[in-house]
Amino acid sequence: MESVVPRRTTPKYATRALVEEAPSRSVPFSWHAPTVVFGAVCVMIGVYWDISWHMSIGRDSFWTPAHLLIQAGGLIAGLTSGYVALRTTFGSDPRARDAGVTFWGFRAPLGAWVCIWGCLAMVTSAPFDNWWHDAYGLDVRIISPPHSVLALGIGAIGVGALLLSLAWQNRGGEHQRRAMWLLLVAGAMLLMDRWIMLTEYSSKNLQHGGAFYRLSMLAYPMAVVMMAKASKMKWAATITTGIFTAFVLILMWLIQILPATPKLGPIYQPITHMVGMAFPVLIIVPALGVDLVMQRVQLRPVFLAPILSAVFLALFIAVQWPFASFLMTESARNWFFNAENFVYWMSPSGVEWSRSFQETDGLGPHLANAWGTGALSAYLGLWFGHWMSKVRR
Amino acid sequence: MTDVRLESGVSVRRTSFVTVRRESCVSVRRASRVVAVALLGVLVSGHVGSPDVFFTGKAGQYDIRVTIRPPEVVPGIARVTVRAPAGVQSVSIRPVFWRAGSKGSPSADETRRLEGQSAQGGGTFEGSLWLMARGAYSVDVIVSGTQGTANVLVPVASVATGRLAMSPALGVVLAILGFLLFAGLVNIVYKGAGESLLAASDTLDPVRRRRARRVGAIAVPILALILVGGARWWDSVDRDYEQTMYRPSPLRLELRGSTLHVQASDTVWQPGSRPSALVADHGKLMHLFLIRSDDARAFAHLHPLPADSSPIPAFQTTLPRLPAGQYHVFGDIVHETGFERTLVGSLAISEPSTPSTPSRPSTPRAESREPRADPDDAWFVGDASRERTMKLADGSVMQLEVASADAIEAKAEETLRITVRETNGKPARLEKYLGMYAHGVVARLDGSVYVHLHPMGTVTQAAQDAFRARDRGDTTAAGRLILAHEQHAAPAPAAMPSDSSAAPSSIEFPYSFPRSGSYRLFVQVKRNGRVLTGAFAITVAEAR
Repeated sequence: MESVVPRRTTPKYATRALVEEAPSRSVPFSWHAPTVVFGAVCVMIGVYWDISWHMSIGRDSFWTPAHLLIQAGGLIAGLTSGYVALRTTFGSDPRARDAGVTFWGFRAPLGAWVCIWGCLAMVTSAPFDNWWHDAYGLDVRIISPPHSVLALGIGAIGVGALLLSLAWQNRGGEHQRRAMWLLLVAGAMLLMDRWIMLTEYSSKNLQHGGAFYRLSMLAYPMAVVMMAKASKMKWAATITTGIFTAFVLILMWLIQILPATPKLGPIYQPITHMVGMAFPVLIIVPALGVDLVMQRVQLRPVFLAPILSAVFLALFIAVQWPFASFLMTESARNWFFNAENFVYWMSPSGVEWSRSFQETDGLGPHLANAWGTGALSAYLGLWFGHWMSKVRR
Repeated sequence: MTDVRLESGVSVRRTSFVTVRRESCVSVRRASRVVAVALLGVLVSGHVGSPDVFFTGKAGQYDIRVTIRPPEVVPGIARVTVRAPAGVQSVSIRPVFWRAGSKGSPSADETRRLEGQSAQGGGTFEGSLWLMARGAYSVDVIVSGTQGTANVLVPVASVATGRLAMSPALGVVLAILGFLLFAGLVNIVYKGAGESLLAASDTLDPVRRRRARRVGAIAVPILALILVGGARWWDSVDRDYEQTMYRPSPLRLELRGSTLHVQASDTVWQPGSRPSALVADHGKLMHLFLIRSDDARAFAHLHPLPADSSPIPAFQTTLPRLPAGQYHVFGDIVHETGFERTLVGSLAISEPSTPSTPSRPSTPRAESREPRADPDDAWFVGDASRERTMKLADGSVMQLEVASADAIEAKAEETLRITVRETNGKPARLEKYLGMYAHGVVARLDGSVYVHLHPMGTVTQAAQDAFRARDRGDTTAAGRLILAHEQHAAPAPAAMPSDSSAAPSSIEFPYSFPRSGSYRLFVQVKRNGRVLTGAFAITVAEAR
């Protein structure tokens, strides 16, 4: 008797084809990327809060709300990524397996692995930092080896969020626009990370000096150009910097509402409320220039990067230089511009120092250096952006 | 002795008995990831090898005893214990930095009263506070109870004196995590260059696989270089830290004939760029102690006179006739910031040209009247008592009582009680010597521990006065202490007049021996205008 073999309604190979034809249903763990971006946002709010805490209150412990928010953000990203890795590895969903890469026998999207790596780095930094405090004193220097490990972990959470959004965006589909926006939010968090790293070199009284522009040109063009290149949005660089600016400004205005008094001494400033970080740098204007150039100029990266750098630098100086002058005036000494966000330990001589421009040798000698640095930064941004535009898993 | 270059670039001579162990510190640091926890560097500011601060005195109407155990790293946490009498309901503490004063201090934190205390209040209160900056601090102890609220400032020097090595367990854990992070990052780069770029249906072809491997291989040396850079950074932080650890500044000592020239030879530990002037403690800018290093059979408490009017002057004095030998020398000074420190040195004394009287007991300088010497200088040559009593030069008897009945243990808080009785057994009436009824010096025989004690504890009156003066606003526009100028302009005054109205016969020193070993306790009292010195040999057992 002839056995009846049920006929496949679609050929075996058609599974993948159908998946690609119906991208709205092809996104496995569609909650994962938004969750990780949410984790990255939590981490950055926590970092901002923690810095403000140190500026205003001083005394802290592992259990401060700011620390808990940072750890929670890291755990959200790391644990959900671990869950996705386990479900993908041991589950039977072929779509999930197809959207992942193999990592030491396990399978998950690359962004998930980066998040897990970041979470592990944050966990590693905790006992390391604790020992460091016992050995050398509490945060004698903010930029220390254990803090660098923590910063790498935090950065990895942001990169993981970026990669997960990218892979989703690049695979296309019905919800692609959502992925594009997630990508820009993740990019804004990376931009904020860079802005925070440059805090010590970005005081308003340093913004007429060469070092500020050199370092800014090293950090910002790469991130801005990378976003413009990787995103499928037309005004990606402008929107990313806009999100960054709005996010930092909202944090700056809100945090000043919270009452706080210093719990450590010596105290030189009579602080009654949390002190917010400084007004963000106005990179939204050069980012607009980057968008315009990249929409109109089609050149090889090696030629495009110097043009982008020149445009970025010119627009940045055009807005930041006068804005720095404004920040030194009485009109900026209010909650809106937050020009006198003195930490509690700022001595009277420190106040005097902050009210006069430093590095008065002028910008001229540094322009070429800043432009060259910016060109290198923009080239790297183009290179990374190109790679990012191809990430699919 | 060894020559050491400190952070300021000043080459100074360090005496061998002050064992900072810089080289061993560095080598241990390198091995720190795998060696046991050990605290390195035990030297402290106001004294040598005796970091804890003890204070006995009054806060308003309350007789309190305060113990401060400063952190070994700065910023770090100081542990504070306050023993208060009945009637005290709460004790709060806050740190006061010299430059900011009380008005620049954070709000006080209430301490925790230990359980099992009397319902009438009082007892032992414990708390902690952060010392954030290096330099002179005082702990403001605020006591509240039935007799109202009162406070007292207890000076404490905030300096880094130690560093923690890493435990093997933590080292292994961090090494494993570090390896995982490194390997994981290499794999992420490899996957990022290859598999992550594939569409859902694609597989990694050999060309792409080779390219990804190439990128991964390039990442290995780059990441390794970053790792090496991180290790070098760590080394550099450790080196910098080690160089800024506090160690007693060296004394430059030169003996020309019988005149001893004394100079604090560096300004490395001065706060800020300008030298901070000295203030007199008990009327003297410097209290210099000499203890013969071989057997501690000779002891001198001298007060060198300033030879110039600079903020930190050179000093000189005429050395009394002491037996030949090598001497540990400790010079106590107080800066106008309230920062107390002990300068250390070593001095070789050859055979005196005139025969000395080795067994002669403590002799006030007034009897020998040598030029360029302070009338309150006193010295002692003789054996220390191994019992708890010692016959003094005038025939009276000094008795030492220790609170703990058994052997004295390291780190245990003790009360060293000194009682002087006349030959007929009656309590002797003591007079003030340098403003106090007794001065004590505790020294470990190897010179690694030295502390100058008073009935008020290890703190100096001058440091307390400096903090109070700053809070009153007794400073110049440049922030200098007005009191310091006044004191410095005038020659060091003689000893304060005796106050016989409440002359005691018993004196108590609060103290805790920092570690086990053989010690000498020298106690100086004054009777009938004569300074008398008792010397006791004390053996301190390991802490249980």
